[in-house]
Amino acid sequence: MNINSCLKKIILNKKKIFTLLLIILSTNLSCNFEKKDIPREILYWSSNNNEEISFARFITNEWNKRNLELKVHFQPVPEGQSSEEIILAAVVGKTTPDVYSNMWQGDVETYAQAGVLVALDTLNGFIQFLNERCDSWTVKEVTSKDGHIYQIPWKINPIMMIYNKKILKELGLTSPPQTYSEFLEAAKRFKKDNNNDGYTDQWIGYTEVHTTWWQRLFDFYPLYLAASNGASLIQNDKAVFNNVHALQVFEFLRELYKKEYFPKERISARQDPFLSSTIATRFTGPWEISHAEKFKPTDFEYSFQTMPVPNEHSGPIFTYGDPKNIIVFKSSVDPNKILKFLKYFLSEENDLKLIEMTNQLPRRKNIDKNPVFANYFTKNPLMLRFAHQANYVKGTDVSVILKEVFDIISQEYEACVIYGVKTPKEALKDAERAVNLLFIK
Amino acid sequence: MKRKTFIPYLLVSPYVVHFIVFVAFPVIFSIFLTFHDWNIIAPMRYVGLSNYIRLFNDTIFIKSLLNTLIFLAIHIPLQIISALVIAEILNQNIKLRGFFRATFFMPVIVSGVVVTILWQQLYGFETGLLNRVFIQLGFGKVGWLTDPSIAMPSIALMATWKNVGLYIVLFLVGLQTVPAHYYEAADLEGANHFQKFIKITLPLINPTIFMVVILSTIGGFSLFIEPYVMTGGGPLNSTISAMLYIYKQGFFYYHMGYAATLGFFFALLILTVIMIQKRYVEKDR
Amino acid sequence: MRKALFYIILIMISLLFIYPFYWMVIASLTPENELSSLTFLPSYFTLSSYIQMFDKIPIIRSFFNSLFVALSVTTGVLIFGSMVGYALSRLNFKGKKLIFYLIIFTMTLPFQITLIPQYIIIVKFGWVDSYYALIIPYLMNTLAIIMFRQYFKSIPQDLIDAARIDGCSELRIIFRILWPNSIPAIVTIAILTFMATWNEVLWPLIVIRDEHLMTMPQLVTLFAVGGRAESQLGVKLASAVLLALPIIICYLFLQKYFIQSMVSTGLKE
Repeated sequence: MNINSCLKKIILNKKKIFTLLLIILSTNLSCNFEKKDIPREILYWSSNNNEEISFARFITNEWNKRNLELKVHFQPVPEGQSSEEIILAAVVGKTTPDVYSNMWQGDVETYAQAGVLVALDTLNGFIQFLNERCDSWTVKEVTSKDGHIYQIPWKINPIMMIYNKKILKELGLTSPPQTYSEFLEAAKRFKKDNNNDGYTDQWIGYTEVHTTWWQRLFDFYPLYLAASNGASLIQNDKAVFNNVHALQVFEFLRELYKKEYFPKERISARQDPFLSSTIATRFTGPWEISHAEKFKPTDFEYSFQTMPVPNEHSGPIFTYGDPKNIIVFKSSVDPNKILKFLKYFLSEENDLKLIEMTNQLPRRKNIDKNPVFANYFTKNPLMLRFAHQANYVKGTDVSVILKEVFDIISQEYEACVIYGVKTPKEALKDAERAVNLLFIK
Repeated sequence: MKRKTFIPYLLVSPYVVHFIVFVAFPVIFSIFLTFHDWNIIAPMRYVGLSNYIRLFNDTIFIKSLLNTLIFLAIHIPLQIISALVIAEILNQNIKLRGFFRATFFMPVIVSGVVVTILWQQLYGFETGLLNRVFIQLGFGKVGWLTDPSIAMPSIALMATWKNVGLYIVLFLVGLQTVPAHYYEAADLEGANHFQKFIKITLPLINPTIFMVVILSTIGGFSLFIEPYVMTGGGPLNSTISAMLYIYKQGFFYYHMGYAATLGFFFALLILTVIMIQKRYVEKDR
Repeated sequence: MRKALFYIILIMISLLFIYPFYWMVIASLTPENELSSLTFLPSYFTLSSYIQMFDKIPIIRSFFNSLFVALSVTTGVLIFGSMVGYALSRLNFKGKKLIFYLIIFTMTLPFQITLIPQYIIIVKFGWVDSYYALIIPYLMNTLAIIMFRQYFKSIPQDLIDAARIDGCSELRIIFRILWPNSIPAIVTIAILTFMATWNEVLWPLIVIRDEHLMTMPQLVTLFAVGGRAESQLGVKLASAVLLALPIIICYLFLQKYFIQSMVSTGLKE
């Protein structure tokens, strides 16, 4: 048999196999590549939470009606594990949008230093616009280490203490506990073993015992900010949290776990433990309102209070605001035009739309006194509590290793607060050392 | 004769391409990465040996190695003893042997995720099935996954439940190679069942035991999904496995350089352990 | 007497293996508020856990993703594995020893060392969030090559020579002559590859972030770990049941082959 035909046969056969494989692959892959040829316009990603999607759709529709020369194409961030991870994947895969509106403040510095974000302060009129929207300390808070500003504060969800009115009344309290000793006293009265099996089954409160770093954003961190009037964890690449405030917070939390006022085991979630009165308080944000309204039993009453503080605390009570900000990627063609869209996006009327549609607070100064929002707050008195609190919120410190800082704190928190294998002093010292080690190289 | 020189290369070429792209290059690149700091999005930075220095000072990584060893120390003996006992019983002319074997084998074929989600419920503190049984029996509740000194043994127990079926079958194959007349001879000398097992069976299935040891060692070193789903590595890092820690460094913090260093070091460690085990087996023969 | 004891022991042990599965299935059909006291049967059955789960995650889509990925990988491994296995067992060429050593090297290399760089390669190829990332790195499997090589060695040379005289190309020899004579090897390799791919979680977790491209075990894992199950046990268990179901059904029919394949890898190591 001749060699040529033999070779041909091999090649043909091989081709057949490969084409077959390719056909199988491409039929399923085709959907991956569609998004690449969108005509040139602003591509804007929102978060993929339903309320925010309808808000973003509303805003872009309104904008596109009025601005025919600069269309905005809106898309919710592709669903997946967490939006942070998706943004990272997009940066790596060079598929970033022009604008992303749901960036956690603590992540911005990483992207800024990687050089993928537009320094917004270099755009015409940005500084003035920002100063009109935000207080000077907010502006300072979002300024990068290199002096530029890479984000616009958009919205916050301040962490406060929700409490069950009826339970606190039954415990003989006339006002919700505000200081550590008031809180501990209420805790002592409420702790109970209902079925006498030797295990507590109602507790004053509960915070997630999981060590995932961001869990500490809802217990340790707001308590720390409250105790310290909004102090930093990190300053100039150095840990500054090994102080009396953090110590008080750790001691307070340790006491709660040691005396079993907070459960160490995960509460199995047959029902929401707060709504079923298994716990009497919880540290949470405004999102709790719509949840409670939907699922609360009849004649269940609740309200919100500022975070517990040390007994000798004075001054306003700060908390963590969980800020989500807007960033512009360097891949975008004309940032100045984008800024025009963003100014519209962040106008007072659209901020009102935001709070109406999503029950999340826009991060703008004096929102509780602004007449534009007055009507909304009369209708939603509980949200007004958050609006008052909004005058005293802090976001995050500027650092590229913020997640690791929280992770380290979380490790020590677990060792000290939950398991008591370290004293609060040791835990904070170890955390400080570990964080400073990260800055060394 | 020309076709003889051409065709084989065509046939193996996909393998060679695959080897270069997915094996050779990664190994070299991995060594290169260990000297760098890189989060994929920012430019790579040469850092000399600092990744290695960090590794030897990283208490969590050292803890994760110890955890893996604890896991192996519980899992391997438990696995071998239970598999041997069950295999030995199954080898006694049992009716329905096929049924039993298939039953024990079921967890082996099911995804580890399924087993983990299931056992997470069984291990639940408040109303988990195991604790309910314990209360009925008059024992207290056990913090299966929340007590730092029990969590890793709990995971090892679950892993044994998942894998033991495979080893039962492997031992069954081994047991069937033992010639029947050995036992007959022992019967004549009046040996009891236990003596026969120690004197005859055990030495003859030694190779199978070593194989099981090596297989479970490799499996134990890649322990990941169980702690990932059940405990996230906690409590107090008592269940964080080396693989879980590498995953965290690499795909959570995007410390590619450091994660590569951990992976490289860990791979060397695995190779060493397997070598020692294999050498020990060869010496034994 | 002793036999009876053995049977009792065996039945008790098999209960240890069957009951958890039974509990899982029943629990997924139990109303959420009865879960904490469930031992054998709930007061009534409900599909609500399943309905909620379908509402929350695209599990059907993930089933087809997994199926597609596992079938593609299995096909690739069979085709490429037999090609290389054939060349190594039946043909002589320079560098054959080298290839063989490379294969042994790959087999002994712990995957921990290549994991990070492989991810970076996928990133650089732009394959994150695509089926390529799940399929292409797995198309070649050294264990399959070795098994094919071993098996092909046992096939009589006459068969191949006869085919050559008839003018068959080498590929024809592999797929038309050797394959029909290697059914046991093919079944074993297919089952092993399919199962390994179907059950793989770590790699998909790394390279797939888009929920619609996730494989089934990955989606179920993230569902169990993440917040979307809202710590309801029922829905988590329901997703676990659905994940277990396809493999268990296959197992019920092909039980013998499953066990044989798994044992043969054990013996190979």
